[in-house]
Amino acid sequence: MNMKKIRRSLFSRTTLRAIVSITVFLILWEAGSRSKEWAGFTMPWIGLVPPPTSVLSVWWDLLGDTGYWQSWYLSLMRVLSGFVAAMVIGIPLGLLMAVSRTFNSITFPSFEILRPIPPLAWVPVAIIFWPTEELSIAFVTFLGAFFTVVINVLGGARSIDMRFYQSAQAMGSSQWDIFRRIVLPATVPSIVVGSSVGMGITWNVVVAAEMISGGGGGGGSGGGLGFFIWNSYVGGSYEQIVIGMISIGIAGYACSELLRGIGGFFTPWLRTR
Amino acid sequence: MEQVERLLKRTLPFQVVSPETLDGIAEISRHEVFKAGEVIYGAGQPAEEVYVLVSGRVAHRIDPDIKARVHEKELQVGDVFGWAAILEGEKVRLADVACIEAAEVLKIDGARLLELLRKDVNFGEAALKSFSQLISQQYYLPPSVSERVPTTLSKVGDTRTPASNEAEPQTASAWTLTMYRAGEWLRSPDPYLMMVGFALMLGFWYLTVEVLKLPRFEDLPGLTTVVKEWFAEDPVYGMSIYTAEYYQHIWVSIRRVAIAFLLATALGVPLGLFLGWSRSFREYVFPVFELLRPIPILAWVPLAIIMFSGSETPVIFLTFLASFFATALNTMLGVESIDESYTRAACCLGANRWQVFKEVIVPGSMPYVFTGLQISVGVAWFSLVAGEMVSGQYGLGYVINTSYTMVRYPTIIIGMVTLGIVGYTTSAMVRVAGNYMMQWRLREMALGGR
Repeated sequence: MNMKKIRRSLFSRTTLRAIVSITVFLILWEAGSRSKEWAGFTMPWIGLVPPPTSVLSVWWDLLGDTGYWQSWYLSLMRVLSGFVAAMVIGIPLGLLMAVSRTFNSITFPSFEILRPIPPLAWVPVAIIFWPTEELSIAFVTFLGAFFTVVINVLGGARSIDMRFYQSAQAMGSSQWDIFRRIVLPATVPSIVVGSSVGMGITWNVVVAAEMISGGGGGGGSGGGLGFFIWNSYVGGSYEQIVIGMISIGIAGYACSELLRGIGGFFTPWLRTR
Repeated sequence: MEQVERLLKRTLPFQVVSPETLDGIAEISRHEVFKAGEVIYGAGQPAEEVYVLVSGRVAHRIDPDIKARVHEKELQVGDVFGWAAILEGEKVRLADVACIEAAEVLKIDGARLLELLRKDVNFGEAALKSFSQLISQQYYLPPSVSERVPTTLSKVGDTRTPASNEAEPQTASAWTLTMYRAGEWLRSPDPYLMMVGFALMLGFWYLTVEVLKLPRFEDLPGLTTVVKEWFAEDPVYGMSIYTAEYYQHIWVSIRRVAIAFLLATALGVPLGLFLGWSRSFREYVFPVFELLRPIPILAWVPLAIIMFSGSETPVIFLTFLASFFATALNTMLGVESIDESYTRAACCLGANRWQVFKEVIVPGSMPYVFTGLQISVGVAWFSLVAGEMVSGQYGLGYVINTSYTMVRYPTIIIGMVTLGIVGYTTSAMVRVAGNYMMQWRLREMALGGR
C-alpha cells in the first residue's frame, strides 16, 4: 500500500514537471557558463559562474578531503551552540513576557529597540567583547535566532483566545495550571515555527560571521563553510564557491527538516493525515 | 403610573432616557383604547402624537408613495409608532394604522415629548438617535425620513438641521482618537514601566562599562562616550550628526535598500501571483525556486562579486535576492490562502480567467503580500549590512566594519543604532502603507472583535 503510494507520487505529473524544470535550469546554467567556449561570447552575469559539470567534478575530488568535512563540522557546531542558547534563553523569556504584564511592559520596549539592529551589525562588538572568535561567532548566531524565537513565542501566547483564560479562571484554575494547560500548549506551535525560522537565520548569520571574522581559530580551510566559500573566492577557485553554497543549502535544509520533524513530534495535534 | 413607566422602559427609544425624563413622559402620556377594525390614523392626516402599543394587534401600512423597503408590518406590544409627530418639517402621518384586534395604546404629545428630550442633557440625544434608528431599521424607511428626527443640538423651533449633524457624534476624527488613545496609554502603567526598562538597559551598559569597568566590558565603548561622540560638533572619531559623512552613509544605504526593495516587489509580487494562480506554472518554476531558496543569501556574496562588476551592484543584488524570495513566497501563500469558493463563485457568475485574477486573486492575496513586504524590508536590511560589511564602499554596514578595523569603537555603536532606527522607520512605513491600502481588512478585523 505504502509502496504504491510512493510509486504513484514518484511518477506523478508534479514530479515529472519538477524534474523537467530542474533539468532545464541546469542545462541553461551549463550553456550560460560555457557560452564563451560554445558561442564565442560571454553571457552577462551567468557567463562568469562555473558550469555545473565542472562543479560536480571538483566536488567529487573534494569528498575525500577532510578539510571540507571539517568545515561542515565547525559550522554545524556553531549553528548548534548559538541556536541551542537562543532556545534556552529565548523560550523562557518569551513565556515570561507573555505571562507577566509588568515584566512585558518593562522589557518589551527595550527588546523592540534592539531588534531592528541586524545581527551582523553586532559582529565587531562581539569580537571586541568576547575573548575568543569562536565565542563571538556563537554570540552573533545566538542573536540571530534569539529575537525570532522570542517574538514567535510572544505572538503565539498573545493569539490565545481570551475565553480560554476566562473559563479556566472561572473553573478555579491556579496561575500555574493556566500556564501549564493553556499557555504552554498554545505556544508550542509558534515555538516550532519560530525555531525553524530562527534556524534559517542562524545559517545565514554563521556564514556571514565566518566570512567577516575570518573563520575562527582553525585557519586554512578549517574555518567553517562560510570561510570555505570566502577562502575559495580569495583563492580563485570559483567551483568551490558554488560547492560551498550548495553545501550550506543542504546543511540548512537538513537542519530545518530535522527541526520540523522534532516539532511535529511535540505538536501531534497539528499533524495532517 | 408606574405601570406606564415600566412599559415605556421596554420600548426602544425610551429605554435609554433618565428616570426624570421617563417620569415626565409618563405624565404626558394618555391611555386610549381602540376597537377591532378601527382606524387609529390615516396617511396624510396631521401628526401630533406618538403612540406606544400596550396590548392588542395593530397593522401598520406605510403610504405607497414613500420609498420603504417593506410597507406592511404588524406591530408588537411595546412598539412605538406615529413618530411622524416628532419629525422636523411637515408633521404629517406617513402611514395608515388600523387595529386588527382591540388595542390599547399610549398617546404622547410630540411637541412636549421633544421638549422633555431636549431637557435631558445626558440621554435625550441618545433617545432621538434611537428614534431615527427605529425608523430606518424597524420601519425600513430611507435616510431621507430617518434624518428628519431632530437632534437636541439644534435649537427649539429650528425646522431643519443639516444631515451631517446626525453622523458627527458617531465618527470621531482620527486626531481625537489618537489623542484619546495617547491619554489612555499615559494613564496605564505601561509608559513608566517602559522607562524603567530603558533605564535598566542603559544603566547596565553605563555601570558595567564606565563605572565598574568589569573585565571584557571595559573594552566596549561606553554610553556617555557614544552619546558625546554622536552629538559632538567636533567628533573625535570623525562621525557625528554634524558631519556630512554621516548622512552620506545613511543615504547610500537607504538608496540601496530602496532600489532592491522596489525591484524585488516589482518582480516578486507578479511571480508569486502567477505561482499561486497557475498550477502548471508553479509545477514548472517552483522546484528551481525551492532549490535556490535554502542557500543563505549571504553565501551568495562571493558569487555576486564575481558576477557583477563594481562594488555597488553586488550589494544591491544580494539585498534584492533576499527581498525577492520573501516577497514571492508570501504572495504565493497569499494566493493559496484564498477561499476556493470565491474563485468558484466568480466563475459561476461568468468571470473569465483574467477577471478572476484581477478581481479575486489580486485583492485576496493582498494581506499576505503586505506581510511579505514587511518581512522583505527586514531581510533587505539584514543582507544589506552583510553585503556592505564584506564588500562595498559607503553605507552603514561599511561604517561599522571599517570603524572596527580602524579602532573607532564609539562609531560602531553609532552605526548600529542608526541602522536600527532607519531599519525600523522603513518597516513602519511599509506597515502604514499596507494598513492604509487594506483598510477594508482592518475594518473586518475590528468588526470581528480582534
